[in-house]
Amino acid sequence: MNAGLLRPHLPAFTAVVVLQAIGALAGLAPLLAVAEIGRTLLAPGPVDQAHVWLVVALGTAGMLVRLLGTAASSGIGHLLDNRVQLAFRRRLAASLGRVPIGWLSRRRTGELAKVVGEDVSAVHPFIAHAPGELVSAFLVPLVSAVYLVTVDWRLTLITLVPVVLAIAMVPLMMAPSRLREQEAFDAAMGRIASSAVEFVHGIAEVKAFGGGGRAHGRFRTAVDEFTDTFLRWVRGMAGIAAAMQLALSPPFVLLVVLTGGTVMITTGAIAPADLLPFLLLGLGLTAPVAALGHGFDDLTAARRAVGRLREVLDEPPLPPPAHPRTPTGHRVELRGVRFGYDPGREVLRGIDLVLEPGTVTAVVGPSGSGKSTLVQLLPRFFDPTGGSVTVGGVDLRDLRERDLYRTVSFVFQDVRLLRASVADNIALAVPDATRDDVVRAARLAGVHDRVLDLPHGYDTVLGEDTELSGGEAQRIAIARALLADTPVLVLDEATAFADPPTEQAVRATLAALAGGDRTVLVIAHRLETIADADTVVVLENGVVAERGAPADLLAAGGRFAAHWQAHHTAIGTGNGTGNGGAR
Amino acid sequence: MITTLLRVLGDRHARPIRRTIAWMVAAALAEGLTYALLVPLLATLLGGHPDRAWPWLAAFALAVAAFGLLRHRADLSGFRSGTTLLRGTYHRLGDHLARLPVGWFGAARVGEVSVLASRGVLTAMSVLAHLLGPFVSATVTPLAIVAVLTAYDWRLGLAALAAAPAVAMVQRWTARSQAAADARRHDLDHEAAARVVEYLRAQPVLRTGGRTGEHLLDDALREVAAASRRGVLAALPGIVGLTLVVQLTFTALLVMGTALALGGGIGAAQVVAVLVLAARGADPLLTLADLGGRLRVARSELDRLDQVLGTPPLPVPDERASPDGHDLEFSSVTFGQVLDGVSLSVPHGGRLAVVGPSGAGKSTLLRLIARFHDVDAGAVRVGGVDVRAQDPDDLMSRLAIVFQDVYLFDGTIEDNVRLGRPDADDTQVRAAAAAARLDEVVDRLPDGWATVVGEGGALLSGGERQRVAIARALLKDAPVVLLDEVTSALDPVNEAAVHDGIERLMAGRTVVLVAHRLRTVRDADQVVFLDGGRIVEQGGHDDLLRLGGRYAGFWDARNSATASAVAATGNAWSSPPGSST
Repeated sequence: MNAGLLRPHLPAFTAVVVLQAIGALAGLAPLLAVAEIGRTLLAPGPVDQAHVWLVVALGTAGMLVRLLGTAASSGIGHLLDNRVQLAFRRRLAASLGRVPIGWLSRRRTGELAKVVGEDVSAVHPFIAHAPGELVSAFLVPLVSAVYLVTVDWRLTLITLVPVVLAIAMVPLMMAPSRLREQEAFDAAMGRIASSAVEFVHGIAEVKAFGGGGRAHGRFRTAVDEFTDTFLRWVRGMAGIAAAMQLALSPPFVLLVVLTGGTVMITTGAIAPADLLPFLLLGLGLTAPVAALGHGFDDLTAARRAVGRLREVLDEPPLPPPAHPRTPTGHRVELRGVRFGYDPGREVLRGIDLVLEPGTVTAVVGPSGSGKSTLVQLLPRFFDPTGGSVTVGGVDLRDLRERDLYRTVSFVFQDVRLLRASVADNIALAVPDATRDDVVRAARLAGVHDRVLDLPHGYDTVLGEDTELSGGEAQRIAIARALLADTPVLVLDEATAFADPPTEQAVRATLAALAGGDRTVLVIAHRLETIADADTVVVLENGVVAERGAPADLLAAGGRFAAHWQAHHTAIGTGNGTGNGGAR
Repeated sequence: MITTLLRVLGDRHARPIRRTIAWMVAAALAEGLTYALLVPLLATLLGGHPDRAWPWLAAFALAVAAFGLLRHRADLSGFRSGTTLLRGTYHRLGDHLARLPVGWFGAARVGEVSVLASRGVLTAMSVLAHLLGPFVSATVTPLAIVAVLTAYDWRLGLAALAAAPAVAMVQRWTARSQAAADARRHDLDHEAAARVVEYLRAQPVLRTGGRTGEHLLDDALREVAAASRRGVLAALPGIVGLTLVVQLTFTALLVMGTALALGGGIGAAQVVAVLVLAARGADPLLTLADLGGRLRVARSELDRLDQVLGTPPLPVPDERASPDGHDLEFSSVTFGQVLDGVSLSVPHGGRLAVVGPSGAGKSTLLRLIARFHDVDAGAVRVGGVDVRAQDPDDLMSRLAIVFQDVYLFDGTIEDNVRLGRPDADDTQVRAAAAAARLDEVVDRLPDGWATVVGEGGALLSGGERQRVAIARALLKDAPVVLLDEVTSALDPVNEAAVHDGIERLMAGRTVVLVAHRLRTVRDADQVVFLDGGRIVEQGGHDDLLRLGGRYAGFWDARNSATASAVAATGNAWSSPPGSST
């Protein structure tokens, strides 16, 4: 376990262990009392009544101490567990907030969410139960055994027979094949979880193609695999587990003790009353093995959960700059930029590009040409595998995160709104923005009127009070970028066609931004954007195929001209539909 | 609890469960019997006649053997029926979810249902495999011991029996006080889980946002911790209370036994035997606190399962009418706040374009045809027959739908295309892919057809996903085609590519499309302009343009930009939107 995370909680841990030890040992008092009472009553001659009542009182007091000790230990242990879990989750969140976006995009959200949620919860037995249980499971039997040896060492050995039997079976449970099954079991559960997420999220397609329930076959397959694994695991364990359980069960232990005791009493090896401590304390000797067997599942599950936690915590974040520098100006330069998601498959293969302040650069190219990857390098979702990206003369890797995001904002295709108020969503990058600033940005983005129609206006919680359409979400994202007011803006026009107001908002945004000293990089989807860009860059297969002013490129009759023609045909305009296309 | 379990599982599984419980009770009784034999055995051993102990010891050994066998039977029966039930319940839940109206799956539900459909079912089913046995043994065995005590001495028996109602009361009280805390914590857990997902998915935005949004997750995490802390504190009195009752009872037996023995009421050997017995009864009772907590967790999961399974699916008609042809008709359809008295019809092979601002109800219109929801009033007919009177599978088989946000299943591109028609041969799949220009994409990818698309298709671009969806729809070859803003998110090149595929998809079929830009809007036989859930304008493209109303305004606003760009003159930034005429 992570020592650094647990160190601050050491005093609480100690309290848990000490209180549990006191409580557990006090719990022996009533059992010893019964044995002592028996010994006194069965002894020949007159009974010392005062002694008997003193023993009764001591036994009762022991019970009380046990109650207080274990309750306090358990309470403190659970509260401690609670604090540790929160600390783990916060640390995971911090770690996930710093790993490269690329690392996140290659993992399933559901599985990562499981790490933060369930896997941290699985640590619970480690912290809340294990310390206390281990103390009572080992300390109590040890003390009992020592006491029993003082009574009769031979009968003590006999009493230990069930324990030895059970221990002999432990290696069978820990066999590599058992552990492999356990891992398969976990993996199968993971598959159910992701297929469930997929099944529920893709329910519309499930419905549309659900003839005969085929589309949710993946869920069913995952379920069948899981239950098969489960059954195999249970079958593998059931026989051993049953034998072990029987060996440790009170009736069997009593049978062994009674058999041994009867032999020894009839042969006169021990006094009848000496059998009593063995009947009462002997059952407790099985506790360590029982604890191993019982807590084994939880603890191995916890260990595996911790393994997954480590995997996330150990993932190196995008390294922060060793010697942070401050950019001067906001000229963006890409020099010999290469990038690939997987080794051996480069998406960008040597891009040289300069984005001058006060200019709009439009990137066009077929899908798969590397457009989206290119623009994602500017907000440093990934670091290039070769070459460099600089802003104001400073490599992005030498910029503090804060400085980077004060310089670069973006509106991407994949708009993510938070389940928070509209105002908070817009003011995400500028938390101290006034309501007036927020409204101004919303107006510019053409979403103000729509927001006023929402149940609580700007305080409407998105995803709770209402859902927004794709176009509306896009406009909120635009308002966000407008409010952030950074000198470099990266924009993907992808959803600009969602509806006319969104399209107008994109247009207004570009118009508002293009005037000043801003550096704008846009993945252009609209001819107007392309036509009005200062520079058009045609990307193909990860390299710049053409670049230049739009009119020049059109005149040159190369790839750009061909794309233009393709779009022209798809839209099917310009042939005079009576709307005054030719002005 | 058992009742809920049986309801969730269905009658088919009632018998194995009852049988399992019967085995468990029998095992617990056998355990009680061994303890009962302890008294005569000890009485002989301690009472000065150890040589008479052998028959009792033999009887004891037999009882232990019986106990071992019965317990093994109970375990096996529990695991066997537990696993069958696990599979059955998963399947039942999956099938049920597939039959629920799509409208039921709101954003808030998706997370909760995903958890329920994975870990939740397992927790609920753990009742049978892991919890019921210990619970039965923890209650039946002490009761058996009380019975034995009573047989030996009614006063001691009565004192022990007094514990029973006290234990029951403490358990009930704990259950009630805990249930509220559990429910609250469950809600907060889900809240936190949703926040984690949001946090992960919104990482790009959060990072550019200077991490100010992170407090949302942190708040949720802290609330979970606070609730769990309250839960711990709420549980403590219950655990202490149970231990206290058990210990008081034991103390009472200790004092009474001692007094009786000292007073000569019972033989010393008997009293000692009885006290050993009492000590045996205390242990299982103390495990009840822990078991109770685990049972509650399982129970709340079971209740949620019960609730989902109890949600009525879309009603399926007993007598299914067969539609005639593939025309579509909406007659005075009202649905929630979205559609308000919409009537329209599309003849067999006709093409209807639906246009309007966002939130007008365009997508809902399509979804009602596919019966993702049922209308509140009016009727939607396909082939002259109300969709509610048709077999849902049959209805679906006649529809090909391409959504705006295509959701692909995590599998290969080929798997996703084949969803359209699982029995299609390779030639058909390749032909559909070629028609959707998906072959270009496949050729470019290193793994080709075997390329894995990732959860939701995340590893493909929007245009690539769209092509997969179109290929899938082409392969399905259904007579009715529904298109929801198919090309709105595509760049010019992709749009041109997809356009050809869509033309092929629409040829000779009844089509309803929601679109803005496609030539197909203009080529539609009929255009409907929807706003605020009502049809505002309706007619042919040219008629509506001549009308000069909402649709004409829409069309102008769209084309002005394109037209000016095509002209490629001057600086269009300076022209206010939509003012180009």
